[in-house]
Amino acid sequence: MRRSKRMLDDLDADIREHIERETQDNIERGMTPEEARYAAVRKFGNVTRVKEDTRDVWRIAWIEDLWQDIRYGMRMLRKSPGFTAVAVLTLALGIGANTAIFSLIDAVMLRSLPVEKPSELVVLQWNARKSPKIHAYMSSGDCPSESGPAGERDLRSANPSGCSFSEPMFREIRNANQFSGVAAFANSGPLSLTGNGPASMVSGQLVSGDFFRTMGVKAAVGRVLEASDDSPTAAPVAVLNYGFWQSSFGGARDVVGRTIELNGAAFTIAGVAEQRFTGIAPGSDYDVWLPLSAGPRITNPMMWSSRQDNVTYWWLTIVGRLKTETPLPKAQAAVSGLFRNEMLYGSVPLFDEGGMFGPLGPRGGGGPARSQMMIGGPGPGPSGPGPTTGGPRVAKAPAGSGPRDAVVVQGPMAPPGGGPQPAKIRGPSDPKKAAKGQAPAETTSEARTLSKPDDEPNITLVNAQTGLTGSRGRFANPLYVLMFAVGIILLIACSNVAGLMLARAAARQKEMALRLALGAGRTRIVRQLLTESVMLAGIGGILGIIFASWGAHAILSFVSSNQPRPLTFAAGLDMRVLGFTVAVSLLTGILFGLAPAFRGTRVDMTPALKEGFSASSKLARSGGRRFTIGNALVVTQVALAIVVLVGAGLMVRTLQNLRSIDVGFDSHNLVIFGINPSLAGYKDAQIDSVYRDLQGRLTETPGVKSASYSMIPLLEGSLMVTMFHWPGTPQDRQSESYVLEIGPNFFGTMQIPLVAGRNFTTPDYEIAASAFASAANGSARPTVPTPVIVDQAFVAKFLGKENPLGKRFGQSDASQEGPASPGYEIIGVVRDTKYSDLRQEISPIMYKPQSGMGPALAFEVRTAGDPQALVPAIRKTVAQINPNLPLRDVTTESQQIDRLLFQERLVARLSGFFGLLALTLACIGLYGLLAYEVTRRTREIGIRRALGAQPGDVLRQVVKQGLLLALVGTAVGTGVAIGVTRYLKSMLYDVRADDPVTIVAVGALLVMVAMAACFIPARRATNVDPMVALRYE
Amino acid sequence: MSTKEDRERIELLQGTLDLLILRTLLLGPAHGYAIAKAIEMNSDEVLQVEQGSLYPALHRLIKRRWISVEEGTSENNRRAKFYRLTREGRKQLKVETSKWDKLAGAIARILRPAD
Repeated sequence: MRRSKRMLDDLDADIREHIERETQDNIERGMTPEEARYAAVRKFGNVTRVKEDTRDVWRIAWIEDLWQDIRYGMRMLRKSPGFTAVAVLTLALGIGANTAIFSLIDAVMLRSLPVEKPSELVVLQWNARKSPKIHAYMSSGDCPSESGPAGERDLRSANPSGCSFSEPMFREIRNANQFSGVAAFANSGPLSLTGNGPASMVSGQLVSGDFFRTMGVKAAVGRVLEASDDSPTAAPVAVLNYGFWQSSFGGARDVVGRTIELNGAAFTIAGVAEQRFTGIAPGSDYDVWLPLSAGPRITNPMMWSSRQDNVTYWWLTIVGRLKTETPLPKAQAAVSGLFRNEMLYGSVPLFDEGGMFGPLGPRGGGGPARSQMMIGGPGPGPSGPGPTTGGPRVAKAPAGSGPRDAVVVQGPMAPPGGGPQPAKIRGPSDPKKAAKGQAPAETTSEARTLSKPDDEPNITLVNAQTGLTGSRGRFANPLYVLMFAVGIILLIACSNVAGLMLARAAARQKEMALRLALGAGRTRIVRQLLTESVMLAGIGGILGIIFASWGAHAILSFVSSNQPRPLTFAAGLDMRVLGFTVAVSLLTGILFGLAPAFRGTRVDMTPALKEGFSASSKLARSGGRRFTIGNALVVTQVALAIVVLVGAGLMVRTLQNLRSIDVGFDSHNLVIFGINPSLAGYKDAQIDSVYRDLQGRLTETPGVKSASYSMIPLLEGSLMVTMFHWPGTPQDRQSESYVLEIGPNFFGTMQIPLVAGRNFTTPDYEIAASAFASAANGSARPTVPTPVIVDQAFVAKFLGKENPLGKRFGQSDASQEGPASPGYEIIGVVRDTKYSDLRQEISPIMYKPQSGMGPALAFEVRTAGDPQALVPAIRKTVAQINPNLPLRDVTTESQQIDRLLFQERLVARLSGFFGLLALTLACIGLYGLLAYEVTRRTREIGIRRALGAQPGDVLRQVVKQGLLLALVGTAVGTGVAIGVTRYLKSMLYDVRADDPVTIVAVGALLVMVAMAACFIPARRATNVDPMVALRYE
Repeated sequence: MSTKEDRERIELLQGTLDLLILRTLLLGPAHGYAIAKAIEMNSDEVLQVEQGSLYPALHRLIKRRWISVEEGTSENNRRAKFYRLTREGRKQLKVETSKWDKLAGAIARILRPAD
């Protein structure tokens, strides 16, 4: 280009020179100088024009042409504002919907981890052919092998794998120096924050000292945690999340150095992490980060002595940053070797041939309290069963989590005193899992094969971007389904606009013929038309981005409002989303522009020029082909709309089915909240009395009908399982049932009717308490079996026709596992209820009197009126007992169920919206086609009318055509829908993927709306005045 | 410019100007005015170079790298731009010439089939 500039710069001089010479020559020929000059200038011609022509030589033609096309296109679009508006709006809706859903997919699935060079980060995942023999296993839930579909392979499966390691293992891997940085982390469990206004619950993560350095995360204020902070002797410090700092500390910079109390222990705020970092896994959001060494301060220190040096306590997720000089396979081989050594030849045999994982052996349970099913053997930790041990951790499975959360292993270190017997709590299961869980099966201990060399336990290094899924998995399915739906919407929008363009191309035939006649190349005209369509798509795209940002925000806030904690997926417009939108817009423009463009240039010039439109013979000729394309487009739109509508219909029916499920109790007017008196300093027996006290006070609160409590709330996503020996089964067989420990009047409060026997009474609670005490600290052995109430499913499964009342089970003799236990006695039977999840089938549940086990549990309050209105009164009542008692997750049962259903609601709502959008677009397409055709055939209609056709005939003719198109489209669409909807199967509930009701309803809806769309142009056709029509054009 | 006043003169066909420029430069580098004059003189003033189109044509040829441009001093000691045929230009000239011959021959055969 420089060459051209230099050339053009000299052009003036060259021309001047040229004229000068000509003048000179003319003078030599004898002209006067004045004449000579005039003649020269005249001969040369228009200097400006020459300069322009010369400049044109250097110009890049296509840019010029493009600019010309754009200007021309603008003019054309302005000339028909109605067409432009409809086309742009249609495209904006299509592109906007796609951009919105894609921006969510981008935020949830594609965006890189908020750390320095995420590609270097790997997460360690162990694999084995049999279960390691360990005492406790806790997971952060960030790893797909534990929460994904592979979660099927939980620890008891044949090929267990996971991402949690023991602390000694972590230290060993760190010392192996295979990575440029190694960090370990674990959830901190619930933290009660005091020292900053009223007590509140915050979420925290325990991280090793190297965590922030390894992640490459800097501090926004103050400093992040350093290696020196992670030591038992170091001053306790905490790092705040940026958002938490803003919301709870008002973003005050002097927060550094201030002291806060977490679970009663003082921590100095060291700093605030940089804004983009809210946690390493996608969607995770922790309020505070504490060094691993702070663990004993925030929970019962007793369990920490066991944790720090215990190779059988696996609780840390390990992430390493690869060194440039150590490639992944090498690092993997090195850490794998360490792991294998530890497992096979370590001080504690973790993997010997008897290395069964879990309490699956024949141990009848040392007592009811001990028989909660544990992950990890019953082996007491070094601390032994302390007085407050045995508390099952109430793991809050993410509400409404989808199939991918098959196994939510609980966050470690829930309430203090969790002890060495963490109960296994399963998250809501996917259908397969549910099938397994619905009927807790007798499990026998079967011998596992010995490990062969290639079966040896090993470690895989998984790229952190793919390895740390966090809550990503829960959103993947709905998002893909929605992406599919909006993709179809875009296709409909495309073919809709293509139809419009086609009609317009027909209207512009004369213009095209003129341009062709004037020598324009066909490619040039195609390009012109394509420019116009891409421009339409471009404007649609810009508008679409605006729609998308509204849409994405609306969806995110809907999702967030259904989460116990706000999600931190930021659906922003990054380059990827913008790139996507630009690509989609361009593609759209070409897609809907191409056919009309070629169609438009295939013009028979002479008649088009001569007669324009009025040549009915020509119209009849070319009309045939054009309207085949038009018809095909409308049929396509209708068919695609049917596909989206059927999908939406199935999702709506699924939601309806889940909503109308009989959960077994009255879920209306029920407030639920979690409470943890131990965080406020209550111990042992005091805790039980807090519960009783609170229950009494709540019952007396005006507006409250009754109140009770249970270890976990029903239908919240968590569950607890207990194992026992059922009389009559082989000695080594363990039976399984869901279990829920409940307070007095639980059934009354929940309105679960008792079908036989009696309710728990005060002596029942005393028996349960003594059984617990015996199990916990070996005090006087209970002689009386613990009374339990079971549901009908339990009776059906274990007793059949036998009278359940008085039936005893779960007895065990004294053994190494514990003292003899008198087991349980059934004193009552209640109606079946859903336990953890709506999709799960009714299963055996065993209700036990709540007995000292719960440092934390959930209260249920039955209100007379609007439960939400009573929340302040409930808070006040709790504060009367102790203002430092923090409430968690105050919600209503209906809200909680909504949370469980949030995925279904999200998909039903959005797909319903998209379905209506598809329907509208398809009908606009149909309407447009018919309206255009009526206009085109005005003259024909006029002649028919003049020849005696009745208005009804005309009406019928138009409606018939439209209806035929709609019916063909519906038929095609139904076929496609049946083929496609089976991919939705895993998301459906109680409705077949080819549900005839939905399909018929959708088809009927479409045909009805299509009729309406046909009717308007048909009516216009009947109003054609023959006289006017014949003079038309 | 228009050649209305002189009917003897023939306007150049589109594209032939390029050919003539190349042919003229085969004799040696020349400046713009000289090229125009040479074409007119060598055609016995039958061909009238529309001077307005000379410069766009020169630039077109430069852009295609068929001719190059250099500074020089003209016969009357004035600074001027000299256009020189490049090797590619020489090749192109052969191609264009043979094309032209074919065209001229073909037209001639049609016009005078008797020949």
